[in-house]
Amino acid sequence: MSVETGTESETGATTDPGSTHESPGDSSIGSLSDLDTAGLAYGAAGTGIFLAVWQAAAMAVGRTYLLPSPVEVATAFVVELTAPTTFTVPFAEVSIPATRLVANLLQSLLHYLPGLAVGSVLGISLGVAMGWSGRLDDALTPVTRFLRPIPPLAWIVFAIVWIGIGHGGAAFIVGIGAFWINFYNAYAGVEGVSTHLREVAETLGVDDDLTMIRKVILPAATPSIATGVRTSIGQCWMIVVAAELFGAPGVGFQIINAAQNLATDVSVAYMAVISLVFLVSDGAFRRVERRALAWRD
Amino acid sequence: MAGLSDSPGDGSNLDRNSKVVVDGVSKVYESERQRVEALSDVNFSVSDGEFVCLVGPSGCGKTTLFRTIAGLEVPTGGEIRLDGEPVTGPGTDRGMVFQEYGLFPWRTVRDNVAFGLEEQGVKEPERSRRVGEMLDLVGLGEFADAYPKELSGGMKQRVGIARALAVDPEILLADEPFGSVDAQTRDMLHEELLRIWAETGKTVLFVTHDVEEAVKLSDRVVVMAADPGRVREVVTVDIDRPRDRTDPAFGEYVDRVRSLIGE
Repeated sequence: MSVETGTESETGATTDPGSTHESPGDSSIGSLSDLDTAGLAYGAAGTGIFLAVWQAAAMAVGRTYLLPSPVEVATAFVVELTAPTTFTVPFAEVSIPATRLVANLLQSLLHYLPGLAVGSVLGISLGVAMGWSGRLDDALTPVTRFLRPIPPLAWIVFAIVWIGIGHGGAAFIVGIGAFWINFYNAYAGVEGVSTHLREVAETLGVDDDLTMIRKVILPAATPSIATGVRTSIGQCWMIVVAAELFGAPGVGFQIINAAQNLATDVSVAYMAVISLVFLVSDGAFRRVERRALAWRD
Repeated sequence: MAGLSDSPGDGSNLDRNSKVVVDGVSKVYESERQRVEALSDVNFSVSDGEFVCLVGPSGCGKTTLFRTIAGLEVPTGGEIRLDGEPVTGPGTDRGMVFQEYGLFPWRTVRDNVAFGLEEQGVKEPERSRRVGEMLDLVGLGEFADAYPKELSGGMKQRVGIARALAVDPEILLADEPFGSVDAQTRDMLHEELLRIWAETGKTVLFVTHDVEEAVKLSDRVVVMAADPGRVREVVTVDIDRPRDRTDPAFGEYVDRVRSLIGE
């Protein structure tokens, strides 16, 4: 983000505010076109060399289960992407046709999305509340400090005994991960709101806490909160995979499942799925973020 | 030299029927290790429609005094009265302009100016009409949809002035508002502020450490001294506007105020 915003502030010079404001998203395009062709060529060369070395190493090893080649992985990817299966929609108990890859991805999303959403909302709420209220901060800081270093996956014991290691248990673990990331970013964002802006708001007639939070604290903390959400979008995929290693269905389960069948090429294909899903969701979020927070320096 | 009428910094500055009355204000910061007397028995008053500058060396408590008048600090002694009413906290009867602008970066120029009006419950279309009027007043109509980051320092401060005036305050309070802009822009902003002052008839209390700025702008200059912060003297600037820095009388006032400060 820092690279793009840097360009943004340089192009958004003080002389011509109108033009930069009307097209806040343009700076990223600008920085892309600024990217010299030599840079692209280096990128392509680096990728080519990586794939060539990988392919050569795989051929030297000679056993797919020890090291699948990029060609084998790509083949496995296509097979998974096209192999027909059905996906049972939970609650509705309706089976819809899907491919294996899509079905597994949907399984993962069934705990990833609820966990991310609930964990983020709760984390942001507590972060804002503690960042705002010194009393609440004092009261809860010992507890949050103590609980925070515990890796989300350690809570799997409660996921198992309370909920069972299905979608619910996996969502629980994901939610804990999302909670802490969002909690700390929201907390830091609210703490970082300058006293000056609060005083300005007071002199302009803001005289109650709710209005102050709504009109000054939250907007000022939004960049930090957005960073928390974006970080958790990525981190929660790590947690999804870890949770699924314990048996929840989805992409992560397929990675370990295929490996147990010595189909390592399929494992790597699903690893690539996670990477692709992350890149797409992170890119989409950055776009939204850049547009919504066009006011940032 | 009728123009150089001075008055001493004691209670005799005080006209109790004035717009703003600073009545025996003192402010002491006390911690376990030390006691700092930021303001000691400060007395002066500002008449309706008057332009008064507060000048003094750093540490003379002028910013503390500004914050106290704003209601952001509580005096440890004495009181501030606005139209006879004691100041007990921040309020929209005092329009504030800050050196660091204090614009809300997530709001456009238009929405920054509208902030106080929203709090006052001014509804559309009256709110937009009022915002448009203020933007025209400071000459920023074209930049209504720009974000603060897109503006120069001078433009930001004009937004700050428009925002402060939008709520129609009794007085305009400014703390070194042009301290962060270059000299050329500052001259321009001086002209603009004097024009706005003439057009709106607002009472202005303006804090600065720049003696020339004070003589250029104000009807009276309240000269402060440090350790403890107090009023040394109040100098009435009796030169017709527009004032010219090269005018010998202008120079005399500047020298006079400088010698009072001890520069």
